[in-house]
Amino acid sequence: MEEISIQDNESKPDDDINPADMDQKEKNEKLMKIVRNILNVSMVLLIIVSVIAFFTYAVPAIQEIPEVVKTSITNIDSIKKEAVYKKQIAQIKRDVQRLSRKYNSYTSGQSYLVINTTDNLFYLYRNKKLIREGHCSTGSYKLLKTEEGRSWIFKTPKGRFWIQGKTINPTWKRPDWAFVEEGLPIPSADHYSRYEYGVLGDYALALGDGYLIHGTIYKRFLGMPVTHGCVRLNDEDLEAIFNTLSIGSKVYIF
Amino acid sequence: MPEAMEMETEKIYTSSDRKNKILAWICIALCFLIYYSIMSIIAPGKKYRELKSEYGFRQNEKNPVDERIFTDSTYLSILKEKSFLQSRVTLAESDSIYLTVNLHDSIVNLEINGVSVHKADIKRTNISKMLKGEKDYVILLMLSVPLTVNRNFASIEKEPLMIKLAPKDTSEYEPDIIPDTADYEPVNFILETDNGTILCVYQAEKLRAGDGIRLFIFDVKHRVRYAAADFARIITFRVPVYRPFIKLRIPRSDAKIIYRALPVQGQIAVYS
Repeated sequence: MEEISIQDNESKPDDDINPADMDQKEKNEKLMKIVRNILNVSMVLLIIVSVIAFFTYAVPAIQEIPEVVKTSITNIDSIKKEAVYKKQIAQIKRDVQRLSRKYNSYTSGQSYLVINTTDNLFYLYRNKKLIREGHCSTGSYKLLKTEEGRSWIFKTPKGRFWIQGKTINPTWKRPDWAFVEEGLPIPSADHYSRYEYGVLGDYALALGDGYLIHGTIYKRFLGMPVTHGCVRLNDEDLEAIFNTLSIGSKVYIF
Repeated sequence: MPEAMEMETEKIYTSSDRKNKILAWICIALCFLIYYSIMSIIAPGKKYRELKSEYGFRQNEKNPVDERIFTDSTYLSILKEKSFLQSRVTLAESDSIYLTVNLHDSIVNLEINGVSVHKADIKRTNISKMLKGEKDYVILLMLSVPLTVNRNFASIEKEPLMIKLAPKDTSEYEPDIIPDTADYEPVNFILETDNGTILCVYQAEKLRAGDGIRLFIFDVKHRVRYAAADFARIITFRVPVYRPFIKLRIPRSDAKIIYRALPVQGQIAVYS
């Protein structure tokens, strides 16, 4: 009986609640649930970010804190008076001088050409001084593929080269790729269609392996990577380079 | 005992059990973090000892040297100069394109056979503490040997190849598209060298709005990679690898030139 009366007492207030209040209460509960969920998700995210930050930023920073035990500099005066010390210093100074001389000897006093393939610029030096600079065109980095599986990469080689030959009024002997690129059948090795006159400008300087420094009829493309690996220059620059460099002159391409 | 009270007691037990579990996990996590930190702190010392055994001075019986000389700053200054020159001469004798980093004068130089072909100013430098020890003969001797790049990571391609299929006949032929020189990509790269030193080169300028974020993402990606490698070592009770670093900020155009010019396994000489 008592239990029943308690239940009655407890159920009474619920019966008195206004339906509007009930709705409000439910809404509040829903809102609280959403807020709680957002907080939980934020907490999890925060923990994940903190853990990542700890491993990627805090740990490398911690590693920089301890002082690694190294040789401490004492500059003992007594050692400086010793013959062994003086001998060591003299030896190392001689080494520095020898290495310095050797290193300086690498930069030639003669004329040389530097080509920057990233920005398509050239720099001409004589007696270690820059005498001319300007635009050029270098390899396009195009990879030409045929259905038969043949392929060519049109890039300018990098490193140190020598002028191996100089030609006035050069003729271009079109290689196989020049025909493949245009969808033309490849002619025989000495077919007349392989020879083109006047397209390489007035001069050509050979770098070896078929790579040339030459002129161009496409002057508007100077300063852009559009060639098949050769270095193209405008007429005036080409003439200056042709007259400055001799066979054996170095060309540095990077 | 009434049923409601029983449930209440069970609730209390469950709640305290949960709390204990959470506390236990927090304790485990904290212990792991402390262990991780200790192992990480040990790493630089281990790296230095490794470098010392590899590059450090070895007494020659025929030509003994008084080791006290390595505590003399005059000797070490000349040794530093010699180390850098020695490195450059070694590199000049190879036919490859190489990089010299002169932290003292804030200059990076691209060289071929001893000829400087491109020079760039370093705008900002950040070096790891171990390499800052310029007056330490182990570091000096280490730097006297050119560093060889093992791995490259960059925000740009080394060779921006464009693949083109050859036309079957003249009707399919299309002239080449003129390259878009205005195409923009931020330039950041990381070079990992054979002795574990990392050279990070980041573009100094913020030319576009997203540059900062893209650098952050690039940096985080590599930090996560290194952290994952360290984590794998630490959980197997091995000391993680300490990677001494040199971080440079140079102009974007110079960074692009250097990254594209340097061979995949390029070499670097450093003067600190």
